[in-house]
Amino acid sequence: MNEVMLLIIVLFPFAAGVLIPLLPFKNRRWMMIYIETVVVINSILVWLLLFNRPDGAFTLLKFTGNLSVTFHLDGLACIFAGLVSALWPLATLYSFEYMKHEEHEKIFFMFYTMTLGVTLGIATSANILSMYFFYELLTLVTTPLVLHTLTREAVLASRTYLYYSLGGAAFAFIGMIFIIVYGSTTDFVYGGVLDLANYTGNVNLLLFIYVLAFMGFGVKAAICPFCSWLPKAGVAPTPVTALLHAVAVVKSGAFAIMRLTYYCFGTEFLKGTWAQYTVMSITIFTIVFGCSMAVRERHLKRRLAYSTISNLSYILFGVTIMTPLGLVGALTHMICHAVMKICSFFCAGAVMYKTGRSYVYELDGFGRKMPKTFGIFTISAFALMGVPGLCGFISKFNLAKAAVESENVLAYVGIGALLISAILTAIYMLTIVIRAFFPKQGFDYNSIRDVEDPNWVMLLPLSLFVVGMVILGLHPQPLIELFTNVANGLF
Amino acid sequence: MEILRNFPCFSLILSMCASIISSALNGKWARRLNIFVISAIGVMSACTLYFTFVTNQCYIYKMGRFSAPWGNEIRFGNLEAAMALFFSVIMLLSILGGRKHLFVEVDPFKENLYYVLINLLMSSLLALIYTNDLFTAYVFVEINTISACGLIMIRENGHTLEAATRYMLMSLIGSGLLLFGLCILYDITGHLLMSNIKEQVLILAQTGQYHIPLVVAIIFMGVGLAIKSALFPFHSWLPDSYGYSTASSAAILSSLVSKGYIFLLIKIFYRVIGFEVIAESRLFNVLFVFGLCGMIFGSLSAIRENDIRRMIAFSSVAQIGYIYMGFGLGTEAGMIASIFHIFSHAATKSMLFIAAVGLTDASGKSKKFIDLTGAGYRNVIAGATFTVGSLSMVGVPLFSGFISKILFAQASVSVGVSKMLPTLIVLAISTILNAIYFMKTVVRIYTPVKSDYPSISWKQDVSYAVVCICFIICNVLLGMCSEPIVDLIRSGLAMFA
Amino acid sequence: MSESVSLLLAILFPVLAGTALLVVRQKGERKNILAYVGVVLGITGVLVINALTTKETEIVLFELMEHVPIVLKLDGFGKLFLAIVSIVWILAGCFSFTYMKHEKNEKRYFGFYLVTFGVLIGLGCAGNLITMYAVYEFMTLVSFPLVIHNQSKEAVMAGLKYLFYSFFGAYMALFGLFFLCRYTTTLTFTAGGTLNMELAAGHETLLLVAACLMLVGFGVKAGMFPLHAWLPTAHPVAPAPASAALSGIIVKAGVLAIVRVIFYLFGADFIRGTWVQYLFLTLALITVFMGSMLAYREKVLKKRLAYSTVSQLSYILFGIALLNPVGLTGSMLHMIAHAFIKCALFLCAGAIIFQTGITNVDDLKGIGKKMPLTIWCFTIVSLGLIGIPPTGGFISKWYLATGALDSGIAGFQYAGPIILLISALLTAGYLLPVTIKGFFPGDDFDYDKLEKCEPGKWMTVPLVILAVLSVVIGMFPNGLLSYIQTVAAGLM
Repeated sequence: MNEVMLLIIVLFPFAAGVLIPLLPFKNRRWMMIYIETVVVINSILVWLLLFNRPDGAFTLLKFTGNLSVTFHLDGLACIFAGLVSALWPLATLYSFEYMKHEEHEKIFFMFYTMTLGVTLGIATSANILSMYFFYELLTLVTTPLVLHTLTREAVLASRTYLYYSLGGAAFAFIGMIFIIVYGSTTDFVYGGVLDLANYTGNVNLLLFIYVLAFMGFGVKAAICPFCSWLPKAGVAPTPVTALLHAVAVVKSGAFAIMRLTYYCFGTEFLKGTWAQYTVMSITIFTIVFGCSMAVRERHLKRRLAYSTISNLSYILFGVTIMTPLGLVGALTHMICHAVMKICSFFCAGAVMYKTGRSYVYELDGFGRKMPKTFGIFTISAFALMGVPGLCGFISKFNLAKAAVESENVLAYVGIGALLISAILTAIYMLTIVIRAFFPKQGFDYNSIRDVEDPNWVMLLPLSLFVVGMVILGLHPQPLIELFTNVANGLF
Repeated sequence: MEILRNFPCFSLILSMCASIISSALNGKWARRLNIFVISAIGVMSACTLYFTFVTNQCYIYKMGRFSAPWGNEIRFGNLEAAMALFFSVIMLLSILGGRKHLFVEVDPFKENLYYVLINLLMSSLLALIYTNDLFTAYVFVEINTISACGLIMIRENGHTLEAATRYMLMSLIGSGLLLFGLCILYDITGHLLMSNIKEQVLILAQTGQYHIPLVVAIIFMGVGLAIKSALFPFHSWLPDSYGYSTASSAAILSSLVSKGYIFLLIKIFYRVIGFEVIAESRLFNVLFVFGLCGMIFGSLSAIRENDIRRMIAFSSVAQIGYIYMGFGLGTEAGMIASIFHIFSHAATKSMLFIAAVGLTDASGKSKKFIDLTGAGYRNVIAGATFTVGSLSMVGVPLFSGFISKILFAQASVSVGVSKMLPTLIVLAISTILNAIYFMKTVVRIYTPVKSDYPSISWKQDVSYAVVCICFIICNVLLGMCSEPIVDLIRSGLAMFA
Repeated sequence: MSESVSLLLAILFPVLAGTALLVVRQKGERKNILAYVGVVLGITGVLVINALTTKETEIVLFELMEHVPIVLKLDGFGKLFLAIVSIVWILAGCFSFTYMKHEKNEKRYFGFYLVTFGVLIGLGCAGNLITMYAVYEFMTLVSFPLVIHNQSKEAVMAGLKYLFYSFFGAYMALFGLFFLCRYTTTLTFTAGGTLNMELAAGHETLLLVAACLMLVGFGVKAGMFPLHAWLPTAHPVAPAPASAALSGIIVKAGVLAIVRVIFYLFGADFIRGTWVQYLFLTLALITVFMGSMLAYREKVLKKRLAYSTVSQLSYILFGIALLNPVGLTGSMLHMIAHAFIKCALFLCAGAIIFQTGITNVDDLKGIGKKMPLTIWCFTIVSLGLIGIPPTGGFISKWYLATGALDSGIAGFQYAGPIILLISALLTAGYLLPVTIKGFFPGDDFDYDKLEKCEPGKWMTVPLVILAVLSVVIGMFPNGLLSYIQTVAAGLM
């Protein structure tokens, strides 16, 4: 019975989403209630499942041979599914307010809700084919969200998004084929499934394939040569940028790489090879690159998007350390970054929504007019920088700890990159904060008389995120213990 | 049960007769007859498939019970029957889908002629599928060429005339080469019946006699059929003839005619020369290289194209490249992948052509992308069909294209590195290129604009909508229930030997 | 238990009181705000004294992560730091009661002033590296508003420079922290160092690099070359009492951190004789000389004082880098002396600005006639900074020079004292002209225009106290000296 629930949490939001444009809602309010109910019910179901995990797997579809679409909830899946379903109801609440002024709301919420199902599908995939399947599906259901505003910019952005994502999947596909052919099983097994006894060819080739697949999945996680889609996709409404392009979609990429590295190829095989050094160098470069671009960028949301690029590579850096501790660091940052970035994006969204300003230089003096929003933004900025006491420090600490313990010289360089990125983060985040709270001498507050804090619907999720950041920052131990168990294959 | 054995022969004769009768009928009746005939062929092929599948063996049907060299033989196993069934289904859907355009684009007095050609084409395709005689195959190749030419030309404007001439020219070169090869083969073996030739070739290969003539024959036949099926770089005739002919023709030509030749080539590989001998001749390597080039250059040309029909046509070049690449791998797995891709591509490409017609109809008959903006909203069903087709082409899971991609990739992994790496990388690049031009189109047709063109609801043309839905179902079926189909192909190939 | 309460109270009370001041929205009357701030400063002073009397115990507040506790621990060195902080902070606070009259946003200023006070107390009490790092970061953040207080373009740019230099330094230190996490037995500050020699074996170079980065990183706050550039930019733009506090105390936080890292984590023995020590000595000496030179050439009084801070801070660092008890004693003494002196100097500069608006040294002719008490204080503390007996500066420099000679490090043994001497001459060169011109304006000075403009009591009293203190520690050093010598000896 419980196994069927795995299917339900994936299909329920998907189906409920499809129904949105078909149902005759009396007015906007009813639609909101419907959607929020769906999302909350689904989240409750997911959390119930997390606490009574079914051991078995549920097979939905069978393709040729041993290829099938199967769901299974293991430790890693729990973390991602838990994260997604915790954030989704809040983000949905926020988007009700945000989308008030936008058109085609029904279509928007249809895809928005469907995405929840697809993301949970990625999380609960039991084998690489299922994951690939949902991965492609994710691209498809999120493209309309990028396209939403239908401006020329949005069209171009959605095209870029599609090309990059599908292209990345094409390379990830190669890796998948190898796992299918040379794996002892197609299911995810902690420690890898590669059956080297069966493989007669060149080991370097296998490593090359790993690098290709890493880059392929890395496209969604915005690693360096393939990251330009992410800032462009910032034209989407803020709930999309915040939830999808800072959490669900991009973290799916990172999640897929975790699966690929720890559950398919196996760290035993990869550790110490040139493949590890290659992918680690890429992530290190991306960490610095993303931050530098963020410093240059003057559009608020795009700046945050560049920051996301850099932070995603923190996660990937943790993954490429290829020790259980590295995975712990990566998972910690996955959770922490999700909370921090969604919070800062929502603040940016609140500014855009209430005032229509979207460039950094337009924010002079906003701190006094929107004290709550900018107070929260400041906290998220501190968290992103890694100020102790907030969650950013915890994840950075864990990543660095893993890097030090691995005794890998390149990983030491990675720590350096993390810290350079931290100082750059300080630059690009604090300049905003300072502008807002300390405008130039003689600033005329009358010029921003129209600026004010948004209502509780927007502020509630924001405050909850702040609480989350502080709790994660001060008492992360239970979570880290969980991650340690997952990363050691015990959970 | 036993009567089922006669069905292949019946269907062949039925379609030939129908073409003769059609010439005497008016357009309306010719159409009805044609639809009936094709449906009947479909049903008969299904029965045949059922028969071979249950008995799990192949049959040789001697016409009039005369044995060679006087008589003519038909041979059918799982694969042949499946192919015939599939061809008739696609043919039926293509004709129904493009029906409305026929009335407009074809001179009403010539409408029955169109159905004559269609029936002729069907019979030649069936013959290519079923025949066990190399010379008969050649004859029907020519018939096929002529009827295809007619299908292109029937729209009667400057473009189609030019395209048809070009097609004719290239095709004749192709069939000329095929004929040369066939003559040489006859010369050195003394047989025209496939199974007999194979025995002789095997002996020749073992003794090493006539080595060079044998290789030359193989190359002639291979290249000839490659030209006819528009393998890169022999594809110059293709975009015009698919792009400007009437919708049904384009759908049929792209999905069936070239596939008929390819199927004949497979038969030559397996039934005439023998797989091992071919493999030794290195023809596979040549095909492999050209296949890869086709995959890339076809897509590149498609990206540059500004005309939706021609874009789809160029995409065919790429897809045919996939098929030849599969041959080029030189393994059974590669062959299975190629044959699956024949199915997959035939289903998808005809679907795209039919969907494109719906979109252009909703955009004032213009095929230019700029006019197609927002067409997906004006003709919902066509838009949806086009989207599904595109996704399948890009290789998104759930649709048929994904399965063929996965089969190709799996096949390539088990061959040597020198072929595996190029295959995988070109496969990935080609996927990206496909994504670029198909997704660009999809995004465009869903970009709303204020447009003067009227919307077309599905109620205005129910049969079109039904055809579209059938196409979608067909595609999803291929994508989701691929396992029995792959098994079928495997058993069919086993029966070839 | 009682220790933890008294420490926490001393830390949290000013932080919360300051936060309350920041958060409360309605505009109170100026008098009320001042009364509030005064009371808070007073109570904090009492609380600090209470904390100083506690025993040295390790208090684990809570576990941030496994093996990463947040620890409070007030040891001898910490107590010293706490005492200086409180004295200077309370006196500068009193000074600002009058001074801040001519600035806007007083409430914000006093709010952050109090919060920074609490954070600094926390820094003194921090018992392990993680805690100290956390407090250190907070210190940068909460002192930032003090720097950019008047929000002129110049101030904001200077503030950003301050912020980013500080963070850069902090992150360099963080790099080292990560390595220390692995290669030490505990991060809790323990005299003599906590390196886990078994694990560290074979990774000496790595650890030395980490130590070097931590030194340079924390050195940023202490204005050490090559990352000193923020200091002369940031200190002068702040309101004078804030500059006094920044230059007197915040820079000492860097010194505190370096002492903690070298003597309490790595252990002096690990660093002694390595390239890190030589590098550290070299950097310190370069900074000493360069700071003095730059101060000598600078015409704006507050900037001149800021450069002087750069130079004087490196005296302290030099003493630490010698890694012997005598040098360390000199450092600690100089830390105290410099805190009082520099604070007094900045307050004088503030008083001058407040009363006359003069910022440039050349315009100060005859100032001694206008405000004699202020300039007398200025003169006394200047003499202290130069190192003329019987002021505090003399004793500290004496110990520093002795320490250098004792150290026996080839090259530095003699180069150190010589450079210190040159720098002392330069110090005389840049401080004494103010006094000389102030009291002896020359023949062409127009005495008719002269009018007395001595500042009010709230300004003069802290000045006098500081001046007296700077002399007292020089004249009656014995009690202090023996305390410091015990502490220093315990660290070797």
